[in-house]
Amino acid sequence: MKISRNWLQKFFEKPLPDTEAINTALTFHAFEIEECESDLMDVKVLSNRAADCLCHRGIATELSAILDIPLKSDPLRDSLPAFSETTELSVQIEDPKKCLRYMGALVKGIKVDPSPDWLREALESVGQRSINNIVDATNYVMLNIGQPLHAFDAKKITQKNNQYAIGVRNAEEGEKITVLSGEEYAVPASVPFITDANANIALAIAGVKGGTAAEITEATTDLIVESANFDGTTVRRSAQVLKLVTEASLRFQNRPSPELCAYGMRDVLALIQEIASGEVVGITDVYPTQSSSSPVSTSLQRINDLLGSDFSKEEVAGVFKRLALPYTEVNSVFTITPPFERTDLVIPEDLAEEVGRILGYDRVPATELPPIAVEPNQARYRGIEKVKDFLIERGFTEISTQSFAKKGDVYLANPLDKTKPALRKDLKENMQEALVKAKQYAPLVLAPNQKPKLFEIGTVFTKEGEKLAVETSEPVSDLPEIKDDQNYIPQKYELGAYKPFSAYPFIVRDIAFWIPAEGVDNSLLSEQYFDEVWQKEMQSSDIVIKRLFMDRFPKDGRVSMAYRLIFQSFGRTLTDDEVNGIMQKITTELTSQGYEVR
Amino acid sequence: MEQQGRLHPISVATRDITDIFGRMGFGVAYGPELEDEHHNFTGLNVPADHPARDMQDTFWIKDRPEYVLRTHTTNTTIRELEKMAKNGETEKRMIIPGKVFRNEATDMTHEAQFYQYDGFAVGPIGTVTLAHLKGTWKRFYKEYFGHDVEIRFRPSYFPFTEPSVEIDLWFETPGKEGRWLEMFGAGMLHPNVLRNAGLDPEKVQGFAFGPGLERVLMVKYSVPDIRLFHSGDIRFVYGFDEKKI
Repeated sequence: MKISRNWLQKFFEKPLPDTEAINTALTFHAFEIEECESDLMDVKVLSNRAADCLCHRGIATELSAILDIPLKSDPLRDSLPAFSETTELSVQIEDPKKCLRYMGALVKGIKVDPSPDWLREALESVGQRSINNIVDATNYVMLNIGQPLHAFDAKKITQKNNQYAIGVRNAEEGEKITVLSGEEYAVPASVPFITDANANIALAIAGVKGGTAAEITEATTDLIVESANFDGTTVRRSAQVLKLVTEASLRFQNRPSPELCAYGMRDVLALIQEIASGEVVGITDVYPTQSSSSPVSTSLQRINDLLGSDFSKEEVAGVFKRLALPYTEVNSVFTITPPFERTDLVIPEDLAEEVGRILGYDRVPATELPPIAVEPNQARYRGIEKVKDFLIERGFTEISTQSFAKKGDVYLANPLDKTKPALRKDLKENMQEALVKAKQYAPLVLAPNQKPKLFEIGTVFTKEGEKLAVETSEPVSDLPEIKDDQNYIPQKYELGAYKPFSAYPFIVRDIAFWIPAEGVDNSLLSEQYFDEVWQKEMQSSDIVIKRLFMDRFPKDGRVSMAYRLIFQSFGRTLTDDEVNGIMQKITTELTSQGYEVR
Repeated sequence: MEQQGRLHPISVATRDITDIFGRMGFGVAYGPELEDEHHNFTGLNVPADHPARDMQDTFWIKDRPEYVLRTHTTNTTIRELEKMAKNGETEKRMIIPGKVFRNEATDMTHEAQFYQYDGFAVGPIGTVTLAHLKGTWKRFYKEYFGHDVEIRFRPSYFPFTEPSVEIDLWFETPGKEGRWLEMFGAGMLHPNVLRNAGLDPEKVQGFAFGPGLERVLMVKYSVPDIRLFHSGDIRFVYGFDEKKI
């Protein structure tokens, strides 16, 4: 949710600290900030708070609690006007489980104009496009207090007996609607529409997006304004099936309180009258089941027992005050009556979380667990590691491969890689592939006389179910079975920093030479000389040369040395000519010092 | 004598981690990778059609609509809690190393399959607290990295814990400026999860955590790409000097 600091400031008398300080306050006490630049913050509102914090008012109340600075006024605590009813607008809800509340207002005599500068700038400051004063008013109120709103052009809706009729009903299978952005959707029957009930025409996809049938244009003079609450699951499914996620659907899927509709309606009508004039004829409010929140109780003891903290009664009470949560306290038992928008406060643990985060998790000490009475059971794990250690001793190297396969007994409904839609039923295929590559890369990582031997222990998925399989690249006649072994101590290793390998091909050359004869035993010195030669060569190029010792033997008073050199670049493919050139240089250098290259 | 083979760095790390947690009284548990919806989601307080399900892109099994590839090893946490309830135990600590799956596009820091070592500690009310979660992880990182570390908690949300936190680690590499690294999510087990497992949240409470294994290895050993771990490529396994201790 994009939040503007200037917009937040409207909620406070006292100047807010700079964006950086707000960022820190929110990060450690409420929500992560994804991006932050000058006036703008992208606040990653947690999904349990999306019902009340996907708006500037929500973030402002959080800041008020965290920084302990009072709100100038809270739009959700200001009283509601007595809305006058009208017979000129009827609302029919087919399934009250899908539409929890529908408030419609009939407004006449408005003038569609460009928005005033303050409104246009406010919307643009959070990356929204200004459209006209009516559409902007609905967006502004949504971004301000979180209630999604919509305005229809009343004159495009059918009047019967001097009455408009708004319907909320499921679409007929495949029924079409063209939405405001111009795309046409064929909608499945599970998706509810807002309709012109007198003409049975779809006006909007409920809780998702408006249609073009009653679109606001410059010529619009009369409005039907919608402030409704649609069921979260229904809206989430609609958005998913239509692949149409909107500001409205994101809010509804997190189940804001239906109480919020009235506040949204109050604010949007006031704003429309302020910037587009017009007269509110009246409001029709269908609200079958009034929602209410239940009190939640917890005690100081319970809070400290959960957090491992040592907070005082006064500190806990201070948190509830700062969050403006009405509470009573008797003998350190707190009972909170959550305000309607705090749909997340349901169980005592929710209150402990409020205390912990507002006072700060830095105040929760780091306490070590006491010893446990029973010996920890690691038998299965140790049994598995024992087999790995057995294979490592036999010269096998452990690999890990992907669980997805071209074919298998079990298939995925939604594979990521369409060429591998199944789950592996054994480890054979991956082992064969890995072995082919291992043979190819052997010169890079293994000793010249070492043959690659691999194993994998991993889960396979068969018709009979899943199981842990052991696969080796060649048969091991005495391979032990995996058995629980609580007493086995797996071999530990210390790893050095990871050394990346080059993805480019490498070239192998062997070199053998006679060390000069003079001196009794200068072979050590001579090996050092050779080291210097090839290391100098490596430093002068962007090529990595790996040197592997192959052979050393004395004969007729001289010593023969043999090495394998592996050439590879991190940036390109080497050519034979290039490597021949380097070999030539090394040979020349050695020869000039009296070595006889064989 | 034949040259020794090499142990995969995931196994090396699992042994390090298991040892440290073992000293703090944690056992090791395993559970199915192909899991039913209840143990992966519903039992963990993530109902169907809840937005929280969007937090983890899920692989579903064809022709078995109620089965998934587990998106976290927390599936085994609830299975272990069920055992605890059945055996009438009041105290248990486990870590659960294993492969998990997420249906999301892969890049240098994202893989569709990776390892987690979820864990939990449960005990009578007041004995296993959020402060113990902090103490456990402070000690873990101290032993794993070989020196004192700083960790911090930030507020978060997971359906299976309340309160929920993100754990950050202050990490310094020689020659580089220190920085906070976002490590993983954790929190106090939600009473609904305990209840779903057959435990009484009025009698026991505990914490749970869900770190990724590759992530900590990438930090500790400067591995540039998460996709190397399960590539079956021996150049990766041999990219580390391995010394017996």
